[in-house]
Formats: sequence, structure tokens, C-alpha cells
Amino acid sequence: MADKGEVDLTGTKQNTGVWLVKVPKYLSQQWAKATGRGEVGKLRICKNQGKAEVSFTLNEELTTIDGIGDKSSKVRAPREHPFTLQTVGGQTLAVFTENSSGQSDAEASGSVTGTGPDKIALEGVVVQRAECRPAASENYMKLKRLQIEELSKPLRFSQQLEKAVTTNYKPVANHAYNLDYEKRKKEEGKRARADKQQVLDMLFSAFEKHQFYNIKDLVDITKQPVVYLKEILHDIGIYNIKGTHKNTWELKPEYRHYQNEEKSD
Amino acid sequence: MQLSTQIVEEQYSLLEVIYAEMTSLGSSSSSTTEYIVRVPKNTSKKYNIMAFNSGDKVSCSIWTQARMERDMSNRRIYGEEETTEGAAGSEFGKKQREEARRKKYGIVTKEFKVEDQPWILKVNGKAGRRFKGLKKGGITENASYYIFTQSADGAFEAFPVHAWYNFTPQAKHRTLTAEEAEEEWGRRNKVVNHFNIMLQRHLREQERGEEGEEEGEKGGKKKKKKGGRGGDLRIHDSEEDLEMSSDDSEGSMGEDGEDKSKAKKDKGPKGKGKKKKKGSDFEDSDDGDFEGLEVDYMSDESSSEEEEPEKTKPNKGEDVPKGIDEMSDSEEESEEENKNEEDAKEEEEEEDGKKTPVQVEKKKKKDSSGESDSSEDSDIEGEAASALFMKKRTPPKRGGGRGSAGNSRTGSRPGTPSIDNAATSNTLRAAANKLEQGKRQTVVSSSETPAAKRLKMEPSPQSSSGKSTPQPASGKSTPSSSDVQLTEDAVRRYLIRKPMTTKDLLKKFQTKRTGLSSEQTVNVLAQILKRLNPERKNINDKMHFYLTE
Repeated sequence: MADKGEVDLTGTKQNTGVWLVKVPKYLSQQWAKATGRGEVGKLRICKNQGKAEVSFTLNEELTTIDGIGDKSSKVRAPREHPFTLQTVGGQTLAVFTENSSGQSDAEASGSVTGTGPDKIALEGVVVQRAECRPAASENYMKLKRLQIEELSKPLRFSQQLEKAVTTNYKPVANHAYNLDYEKRKKEEGKRARADKQQVLDMLFSAFEKHQFYNIKDLVDITKQPVVYLKEILHDIGIYNIKGTHKNTWELKPEYRHYQNEEKSD
Repeated sequence: MQLSTQIVEEQYSLLEVIYAEMTSLGSSSSSTTEYIVRVPKNTSKKYNIMAFNSGDKVSCSIWTQARMERDMSNRRIYGEEETTEGAAGSEFGKKQREEARRKKYGIVTKEFKVEDQPWILKVNGKAGRRFKGLKKGGITENASYYIFTQSADGAFEAFPVHAWYNFTPQAKHRTLTAEEAEEEWGRRNKVVNHFNIMLQRHLREQERGEEGEEEGEKGGKKKKKKGGRGGDLRIHDSEEDLEMSSDDSEGSMGEDGEDKSKAKKDKGPKGKGKKKKKGSDFEDSDDGDFEGLEVDYMSDESSSEEEEPEKTKPNKGEDVPKGIDEMSDSEEESEEENKNEEDAKEEEEEEDGKKTPVQVEKKKKKDSSGESDSSEDSDIEGEAASALFMKKRTPPKRGGGRGSAGNSRTGSRPGTPSIDNAATSNTLRAAANKLEQGKRQTVVSSSETPAAKRLKMEPSPQSSSGKSTPQPASGKSTPSSSDVQLTEDAVRRYLIRKPMTTKDLLKKFQTKRTGLSSEQTVNVLAQILKRLNPERKNINDKMHFYLTE
């Protein structure tokens, strides 16, 4: 297995020529619905006095289009699609495949099977460009018309309602959320002053994790009343007024030990 | 009745058969073949288009090997990685706060999608071409592209194209930045010698680099920028832009290689490593080495040559016996590809510390006559250095003066391709060293003298103008004067007076003066030093010898 990034050049060595064909959207949608081995139709190549005529005929069962129009569509996809052949021009167009990681299926097309992530292989070079056009037919015109109608509908539209909407907001004595909040607060009660040493321990362990703290966050962590906490903080920490870490508390330098993650007291 | 209907039916069926045959056969002058088209369903492979411009003349069939990977250089911009998480420097809840702030202001940062990143395609290894493939948007919006391949059973298989990438080749030569380009544009009516532009730029950078860099940086081999550039803020599209290799731009032999000033990347086996190394070399200024010397001319060729060897000395900063310190220091860009090849060969050889006369001669052919001497001299220096296990690589001092020299030279002799050529032996780097110093004083020398004179590296100032007569290809000049003999006494005198590096010593005993060949000088000097057994001292990271008596 080659390492990641290595491009498999077998395709170019064999000089495999491929065709690049531009196919209309509806046709590719129909092709996606193919069953079984994936047969979608027949390609007929006619060599008429030197000029090649290529035409594609869609399989019968794939001509039913659904999804367009409100009712069961009476529109069917056209079957005949002549190809307009073009030269590649000066451009060199190569085809490379990327095997997405995690997949290790053997490919029916016979090229390199990728067992590793992102295997890149050069399949070949484009020798012919073509455009698949539908033969102008009644079917096709109807189809196109439906498509245009669909697209021309605006994304947003105004619609008049018969009845006024009354289901959103009702006046309430007190919101459920507020009730819960007050209950929670009651349960928690006022924060009690714990032992100074305990609070210090909590603070130090907190400052081990982060250097800067907001007073609110510290209150949250330690569950101490603000005034008491501030007293303790004045002892061991400093309050940053300016700078990047505005209005935050941090430990005094002598208490800091960030490299070793130790605290000194 | 039944019989008749039967017959009629048969007739109809017969007609049908005939009709069918006719339709399938078609007219006599055309042939029709039918193929079944399949769209395989279970494929996990995504097909993509790799588009090259016609002007780049890319042919996939001549590729021997290729590597392709995504270019993740944009990840930093989008990823917005935080620097410190936890512990020092971080705030509690900073991430959440940042996110809340961004939401409040409606700042939407685009995701970094690996799928949309450009590809970097490297063909034929480090020396080959590089391409960058940018995704072309909107190809799947209105129509789908399919790749039709013919499979073994004659049927066509159609695969949808997942994405389209436009691949453009990446320049390996050094280009001007936007500011510089604007400057040059302003001077376009006055500047005649366009080949000089890159050379001048290189000179400028060198000056800046030497003034601005500290010694300490020299050790870093992994410097991203060349030393000269390290001092300034330059805008580059990507780090790859910093890579350099020379192209045969403006190709004639007569040009100084300065426009491809920085050594070609593709020359040596090391790409970035070398370049970084090169940068580091620049910083290590060897100005002190040339204190006693007066040089009046610097040759362009030498500088270009020097660049190359330096390139090949990838990360051998340590005490490498191959004292190619000087040789390897300089990197070279030769204008032509054949020259490149030769240079590449030379580099490798020089790395081994050998400079065969053949190569020296080859170089000489390309060099102007005057330079041959310097190449010999530098040769000696390099070899002596190796013999003495000198480790330090002196900064390239690359062809600073090249620009000026080249200027004058090309101006005066446009028709002589053999002169002014970029291929210089790394020995010329010595000349380039002098060049540097001289360059400082004489940025633009309009006289022709320069190259030849400077290369001679004579201690006494040469003020005479006029080119020296072309010397024979062998380059060996007859000693003009024997002021200095390579004796133990002489060496002892020098070492007592002041500490010197081997390079310095070699400069004192130049072939022209002592009448010895470069190899002889090296050998004799080595023997003398062994006898004297001087003390060693490290000054400015260079090994100096000195005696105390």
C-alpha cells in the first residue's frame, strides 16, 4: 500500500482516454434512480462519413419523473439525447480519484482498490468533451416548463390567515421558570462562610487550572459570600484593572507556580 | 382463413425483422455501434478533474512519480487555535465568553472544510514541478459532469465528477514582492539591465541581514526565511513561496545569476532545509575575517557559484571535516540548466571536500578569466579547511557585488557569453566574500576591472583599471611575485600576531604569490599546522588558531 499522498499513476501510463460529458440535472437525477447494475440506457455511436454522431437513449423505466409538479406528474423525461462533441482544446484534463477514508470496497471499474485513507489515483486523461442535450420534444418542453415554474416561485411569500394566532403568549401570574428559580434560591440559602483554610484550598486548586478568574466565577466555585471571598482574595491575589485580562483576579506572584503546577503557600 | 392470417402474420414478422436489421445496419457508408451505459452505484471513489492550463505544457504520461496532498496552510486562519489552555495565561470560561461575544456581534467564522482546501501536487520528486490545485466552485450547480470510461465488456461506465480543480505550476525561482515590483515598475524606463534587478535585491537583503541578525540565530538550521529576509517583514502567499530554486530565466550565459539569486531549490536534495540553512548562514557574518584585506572588485560569478554549494550542505552545521564551509556556504543559481546540472554535480563533489581539477576547469570555462584565480584560491581554502577539520561555514557573502559587477560587465560586453556567467565554483564564494565588503563601498562600479581584480584577492589594493588579459582555461596563473613563501616561520608569525582561521591563513598564501598549486598549498599548510600545533579558540563560532610565544 503506498503511503498517503502517493499518487497512483497507472491510469496515465496506460493512457486511458475518457470522455467528459456534461449532463443535465434532471438526467443525472434519473440516473441516480437506476436499479440493479446501474444500467441507465444505451449509447449509440454512428460514424457517418467521417463525422461521428453520438446519441444516448434513456431506458424506458427511468423516464418517469416524480417530485416535480403538484400532482402525479404526467411529465416524462425525454429519451433521446444527442451528444454534442467538443475538443478538449489546449487544456490538459486529467481525472483523479480519491478513495474516501474508511472505505475499502473493491471497485468494479477495475482501478486501484484503496484500503487506506484517501488513496489518490490518476485514472486517465480526458480525450473528448461532450454535452448531452435532450432532443427537442414535447416531453422535454413540458418538463422544462414545470421546472421554471418551480424555480420562479419566491422562497418567501405572504399568506393571509383566517383566524388570528392566539396560541403563543398568554398572560401568566408568574412564569414557570421564575418559580423554579426562586425555589432553587431558597433551597440553596445564603452562602455560609466556610473555614478560611478550606476556602483557600478551593481557591488554590481553582487557580491551578486557570490563571485568571472573574469574581463571579469564583463565587460560583467556592459558594462563599462575595464580601468574605473578596477579603480572602485580597490576601492572596491581585485584581487586574487594566490589560488583557480586565477585571480578573489572579494569584500573587509569590503564590504562583505555574510551570510545575505546584502551589506555594 | 386461419392460414391466411398466419401467413400475414409471418409476413409482418418478417418485415419487422428486415426493418430491424435495416435500422441497425444503417446506411452503407456509416456504421453504428451500440453500447450499454452504466452508472455504477456502489462506488466509494470520488472522481475529480485535474485541469491544467494549455500554456504550461503538462503531459501526464511523462510523470514518473507524483505526490499529492491537501494544502492545510489555511487551517490557522480558520481554526483560530488558542494558545494556552488551562494553567497560566488562561481565564476561566474564556472560550464560552468568546463564543457568546461572537454570537452577539454576529461574527460568523467560516468552517475550515478539508474538502475545499487546495491540493499540492509534486511531480517527480523534489526536483520536479510543483502544482497547486484550487477548487473551482459551482460546477455541480446547474449541470453534472460525468466521466465516461469504457469498461472491459465494451460497456460505458459513467461516474459523476465530484469536484474540479485547476492546477497551476508554482514558480520555483524567486520573484519580487509587490512593493519591489512597484518600485521597479517606476524605474522601468531607466533600467536597461533587467537581469540586475534580482541581484540588487539580493545585495540589499544581505546587507540588511548582516546588520540585523545576531550570531545566535546562526545555529538554527530550520529558519524559515533566508537570513536577509529575516530582518524584514515580507508578505508571501504561502510558505512555499519562500522556497527558491532557479529557473533558467533570462537565460543567457552572460547574465549574472543574481536574479535567481537565492540558490535553486531543486538543485540539491534538500529543499527547505537548505534554504533555511542558508538563511542561517547569512547571519553569521564573517566580516572580521577580511579585516586586513583590501579588495577592489567582486565578481558576480563567484557569488552565484557559492550559493549552490551552500545549498547542498543541508544540515551539516557541525564540525564536518569537509571544510567546505566556504564552499557549501554559498548557494548558486546558474542561469542555465546545464549549468545547473554541473553545479549540482559540483556541489556534491564539493561536499566531499574534493574539487577535482576537472570541475575547476569546467567552471573556469564558464567563468570569466579573472575568476579562475579566485576559484583556485577558494579551492585551497576549502580543502585546507577540510584538512584541518574546520567546521565553521562562513556566510556566503554571496555575490553581493555581483550585481554591480555584472552590471558593468554586461553593459560593457554584451556579446561575450563566456564571461559573466553565473556558474562559479564555490571557491568563488571567497570572492564573493570580498565582494561583500567591497560591495559596501562600491555599489555600482562602472569600470570593468572589478571582477578580475577582485577575484585575485590580492592583499594590496588594486587600483588599476582595465580587465586583465584573459587567462588560460587552466586558470593557473604564473606567480607574479613571490612576496610570500609558505613557510613555517611565516605561519608562526601570523598566528602569534593574531588568531586566524584556516581561511585567513590561506588568504595569506595565495597561489599567485607562492607559486604553489592549490593542492600543494593546502598540503603544506596542513603539515605546518600539524608541526606547530597551535592552540584553538572559538571566536564568533569559528575556530581560530593562535600561538603564544
